[in-house]
Amino acid sequence: MTRIRITVNGEEREIDVETSRLLVHAIREELGLTGTHVGCLNGDCGACTVLVNGQTVKSCSVLAVSADGAEITTIEGLARDGELHPVQQAFWDEFGFQCGFCLPGTLLVTCELLERNPDPDDAAIDEAINGTLCRCTGYAGIRRAIRRAAERISADRPEPAPSPADR
Amino acid sequence: MITNNFGYHAPPDLDGVVAALAEARGDVVVLGGGTMIIPDLTHGRASADVVVDLSRAGLSGIREEGDEVVVGATTTYTEVLSDDRAAALVPLLRTLSSGITGGPQIRNKGTIGGSAAYANPCSDVPACLVALGARMRLASAQGVREVPAEEFYTGAFATVRRRDEVLAAIVLPRPDGTAGYTKLKLAESSWPIVTAAVVSRPDGSLRVAIGAVAETPRLIDVEPPSAGVDDPAWRDHVRRAVAAAVPEPWSDLLADGAYRMRVAPAIVARSVARALAAGGEETP
Repeated sequence: MTRIRITVNGEEREIDVETSRLLVHAIREELGLTGTHVGCLNGDCGACTVLVNGQTVKSCSVLAVSADGAEITTIEGLARDGELHPVQQAFWDEFGFQCGFCLPGTLLVTCELLERNPDPDDAAIDEAINGTLCRCTGYAGIRRAIRRAAERISADRPEPAPSPADR
Repeated sequence: MITNNFGYHAPPDLDGVVAALAEARGDVVVLGGGTMIIPDLTHGRASADVVVDLSRAGLSGIREEGDEVVVGATTTYTEVLSDDRAAALVPLLRTLSSGITGGPQIRNKGTIGGSAAYANPCSDVPACLVALGARMRLASAQGVREVPAEEFYTGAFATVRRRDEVLAAIVLPRPDGTAGYTKLKLAESSWPIVTAAVVSRPDGSLRVAIGAVAETPRLIDVEPPSAGVDDPAWRDHVRRAVAAAVPEPWSDLLADGAYRMRVAPAIVARSVARALAAGGEETP
């Protein structure tokens, strides 16, 4: 076992892992954060995406020991005080997901995209989500959600969630 | 999950890396970004007794050394894309990095050196390095040697790198000319099926490398088109040049060898057109 120290969603944690432990399994099992999903374990599907030191990576393709000292944001780190992150709210409003399996990855690549490019066009959006496979939506809802999130964040006025009566 | 534990070293510098490699026994894995080798370990396509992780060894970044451009082995595609100076020096590097399949997550983590050393016939990097006339800088406890890219690749997933060596950097002569790059893939998330990287030199000559057509990237002998890239006679010349360089085409799940041979001349023609047009800045 090797002891590693990581900061997860702002909280410092120490865990003991085998050298063979994948980061995605350490996040889910040692840290108990099961919002990060295990999909293909092949670096293709993107369901295991997390931010490591501010950049999206597929955590199935990272050894936990390699992440020693890193700052990690998982999907659990987006909402604050029960309020959805503006990106999450936009996906909710625009039906940017169905089953939700790919959603953690899709949300985190969206956060990274909007950080790098606050006003992405369709080509930039497609490039950002081309490592995140969604087998439900056909991507149209995802594109709309990302555009909506961009508008919201640049307007800097997150709207409250619509009430059930609006739906 | 990976079913066996292994010795793990993440040395803080190149000396530490070569020392760890000199001592390592059994199956030794040099870990760059991990985007290919970690899934291989997970799925049992590779095995490791020792992993030497380059991520803390300070091998990333692009710098000029005299007339040459040195790309540190662990330079990621994202680093290439955010380094405007590097893009100006070697536009082909940016073009290939922008088209890497697998999303920003892979471009953030995958490295130029990792792709180069992994030697997947279908990767973008190897043929581009051959077209650019790159030299592969290999370091070991015995010292440093440099191998031209076209001699580096010995087969599918095979290179001249010894097990005690690490690919520390890739040395590129500063390109004097314009470049074009094209890859054929039939779906957004697909590996390339055929790639062609072309450098058009100021004297009018072309340096053309094709990837994914054979086990290793191949330089092909192509004259510049005198009557445009659609001229049937020139297309025929390209077809013969591909055939001469590829006695045995590569087949995999995506396409068999005969298909690759059929489409390769058209992909070469597109890259030549891009190189001649304005410097091949288009996204592949």
